[in-house]
Amino acid sequence: MDLGHYAPLGAEALLTAVSLLVVLVGLFTKGRSSLPGYLSLAALVVAMWMVLTAETGTVFFYDSLRVDGFSQFFKAVFILVSLLVVIASLTRYNGRVGGDEYFALLLMATVGMMVVASAIDLVSLFIGFELASLSTYAMAGFDKTKKNLEAAMKYFLYGAASSAFMLFGFSMLYGMTGSTKIADIAGASLAQFNPAILLALIFVIVGFAFKMALVPFHMWAPDTYEGAPALVSALLAAGSKKMGFAAAFRVILIALLALKLEWYMAFAILAAVTMTVGNLVACWQNNVRRILAYSSIAQAGYISIAFVVLGVASEGMTGPNNLPLDQYALAGGLLLVLGHAIMKTGAFISTAQVASIAKNTEDPDDISNYAGLGRRAPVTAFCMTIFMFALAGIPPTAGYFGKFVVFGSAIYGGLVWLAVLAILNSALSLYYYLRIISYMYLREPAGPKVSESKGYVLSLLLALIGTFWIGVLPDGFFNWAMQAAAALLP
Amino acid sequence: MISNAISIMIAVPLIGAVLAFLTRSRGQARLVALIASLVPLALALQMYTEFDKSSKLMQFVESYDWVPSIGVRYTVGVDCISFPLVLLTAIVSVLVVIYAWGENHRPNQFFALLLLNEVGVLGVFTALDFFLFYIFWEIVLIPMFFLIGIWGGPRKDYSAIKFFIYTHVASLVMLLAIFAMYFTYRLPDGSRTFDMLTLLQATADKSIFPPSLINAIFAGLLFGFLVKMPAFPFHTWLPDAHVEAPTAGSVVLAALLLKMGGYGIFRVILPMLPHVDKAFVTVIAVIGVLSIIYGAFLALAQKDIKKLVAYSSISHMGFVTLGAVAFTWLSIQGAMFQQFSHGIITCALFMSAGTIQHSVGTRIISELGGLADRMPKFASLMLAAFLASLGLPGMSGFVAEFMVLTGSYPTFPVYTLLVVFTSVGVTAGYHLWACQKVLFGPILKKYLDIHDPHAYELLAMSAIVFLTLLFGLQPALITDMMGTAANQVMEPVVTLSQMGVI
Repeated sequence: MDLGHYAPLGAEALLTAVSLLVVLVGLFTKGRSSLPGYLSLAALVVAMWMVLTAETGTVFFYDSLRVDGFSQFFKAVFILVSLLVVIASLTRYNGRVGGDEYFALLLMATVGMMVVASAIDLVSLFIGFELASLSTYAMAGFDKTKKNLEAAMKYFLYGAASSAFMLFGFSMLYGMTGSTKIADIAGASLAQFNPAILLALIFVIVGFAFKMALVPFHMWAPDTYEGAPALVSALLAAGSKKMGFAAAFRVILIALLALKLEWYMAFAILAAVTMTVGNLVACWQNNVRRILAYSSIAQAGYISIAFVVLGVASEGMTGPNNLPLDQYALAGGLLLVLGHAIMKTGAFISTAQVASIAKNTEDPDDISNYAGLGRRAPVTAFCMTIFMFALAGIPPTAGYFGKFVVFGSAIYGGLVWLAVLAILNSALSLYYYLRIISYMYLREPAGPKVSESKGYVLSLLLALIGTFWIGVLPDGFFNWAMQAAAALLP
Repeated sequence: MISNAISIMIAVPLIGAVLAFLTRSRGQARLVALIASLVPLALALQMYTEFDKSSKLMQFVESYDWVPSIGVRYTVGVDCISFPLVLLTAIVSVLVVIYAWGENHRPNQFFALLLLNEVGVLGVFTALDFFLFYIFWEIVLIPMFFLIGIWGGPRKDYSAIKFFIYTHVASLVMLLAIFAMYFTYRLPDGSRTFDMLTLLQATADKSIFPPSLINAIFAGLLFGFLVKMPAFPFHTWLPDAHVEAPTAGSVVLAALLLKMGGYGIFRVILPMLPHVDKAFVTVIAVIGVLSIIYGAFLALAQKDIKKLVAYSSISHMGFVTLGAVAFTWLSIQGAMFQQFSHGIITCALFMSAGTIQHSVGTRIISELGGLADRMPKFASLMLAAFLASLGLPGMSGFVAEFMVLTGSYPTFPVYTLLVVFTSVGVTAGYHLWACQKVLFGPILKKYLDIHDPHAYELLAMSAIVFLTLLFGLQPALITDMMGTAANQVMEPVVTLSQMGVI
């Protein structure tokens, strides 16, 4: 066997090996070593480098994984999120009993997400999904508080149900086409419409919609993000949710291209409802993590606009500078994914910082605990403020640029109503983001100044740099996203 | 001449904002702020000496590729329309820092935000790319939000959020209109551009921009600018924001932020005016007239001196709207001069209100009286400011409003006369009444131990009063530019009658 051939999968191999190693280290040091955290950190850094430099365009394991620009983009996003979470977790979990398991699970979840990003076969896709999901189910209940366990249980039940939907849809596709390979399914004549195909499409979309937390399949997200440990919520909202998009882009765009008309309608409705409901409900919340959860749902709605545009984009439609419209829209979706991953991770890590300050209060995530945070924890408050503005789409940040491309692509695609709705939603979202900011800066602090955890601060600052980097110098990221989109589209 | 003058002008306050934020003491923060705001002023004055007032072209232009894949460039430059406002921004920013010299509540953040605000405003006035323009337009909201929210009065939360959301929604409507232009127009090589001047020129082409589209774009942009000005009936965010904001915030808001709306009218609306539905002209003029009259009457009814000044701003900014859309050489020139003049005068007005608040502890007119007795220096400056605001000949406000009214008469005789007969008297009335109640008469017993404010407050106010007189007696210093600008705007059409409006 030629091992060199498998070099592009080196990052996955490395992370898998290190996750096992971390468990071993924990075993021999009775879980009290601080090695697991640093090992994971180093592994992720190396993995990031390997992903970014990997040779693209090759397929592995009997056409079930494909390393291309598209998978590279998503893998980079996943590793980035994990990296930020690991840095923040160093103070919280490293060197404590169980810490080794935490880092091992985190690495495995990352591997699972990376497998999903490269999967071109429904079976490997499903395996990746389950690997990531099972790891994160365990992480959601990690601190074993009552809230944790409830969150984990909800997440698990909904996750299992969505997997079942997805799997059922997959099995129908397999039954009709005789293959689990995405390329084969696309090649089979699905265009001959029959009710079974429609049913398969519905099941697949419902399965993915659960993972992406699109309304009305979003119910689990606020409860889970609220109840899980804050750092795990960061991983869930910023990482594993994006896994749903990685899979959906590939399966729906490639395998089910023939059913474009049907899924275009479905996503138009899902996108419109998701962003509106997400934003409206967020305005009512008093728990910051729930606000972030609903904002995350709303953001999923914005990203879904890319599907709608891809549905209407026909041959020859172009965006700015004669870029093909489908590629432009997908690139916009990818930019939103990247931007949202960074901003949301930062936001959730900020809530973790606040929760650690307010741990003795009844609800540490209640917005009242944010009063005067600007003076109690200035760095956290400052970063959180930037993330809030960025999520609201205020320039010059990642949030603005991503929205600019996606909303613009909707206008190019003739979906002006959707673009207008999205922009109105953006304005609406400002209300609850400003509310958090106003608590942090406009209210009197409830306690004295506290020392901010170094791990959190480092991770927040990295996210902050990312947020501005994409916003101020978007060209490189845009070109990267365009290449990633080109790799996926035919 | 220093190349990249404009970029330096924007960059220095930005760096200054970061430095001021990091300082530990008030002394350091204000020193950083002063230096960082003096640099743009020095550059602006240097530019003034080299500025070609007779040229209709953009000067000091810098242009670099920024996001080439979607046609965004970093392009900045000034012409006769924008340069006076750049000058105004540079002047006001320094004076505000001086006025706020004694700020002791979180001074590092306070001065950092003032500088950040200057960055945004300078950027708006110099950006020549819509993408860039929009970014600066939005950046301005952030420091203002915090200035109101942290240093504001009792209802600061409500006012800050209302200010942000109201003006942000207006900005988004404007953004949609910008999108519409960007997505409709292609350069000859098929690519897209955000270049403001190119897009504005292109809107004249009926084959690219059909009438319904151009009207929609125009309405969107107009809405964005009128909210910012603010014009009746979109003004409701302003009194809240002004009343709650700290003095420096009010000054910046009235002197600079409102000017962004007016600038939008001159830069974007007027070049498009000849190509849109003629009914817009009447609508805008009516909005202007209503703002003037309604603002004046509301000011008359106010009990709080700061609210009075806030409503008077709406009234004075109405002259900008009216003059711009009357579209004669003189009226446009007057409207532009009104922007500049109101920018200066309103500083002194809000500083007066602020100083009274600091020294006496209240701004309620009925609770004040006879302050001139104990604060003679302040009283003379405040009186001068109020006289300037009511339009006393010899001061800049008079020149501006006179030019607007004379210039608008040929186009809108009825409206102009309406303004003259209703608002001018009322304006004089509430200004004089406020001064009389606050400054003169017997000193109230409880105010026997107050005294003239700090020297820095007096210094800032004196500088403004000096400028008011300077531009009132020698308006040509700046109206030369406005004359050229008016020519530039009117060149393609000359008058409304030739456009078929009247």
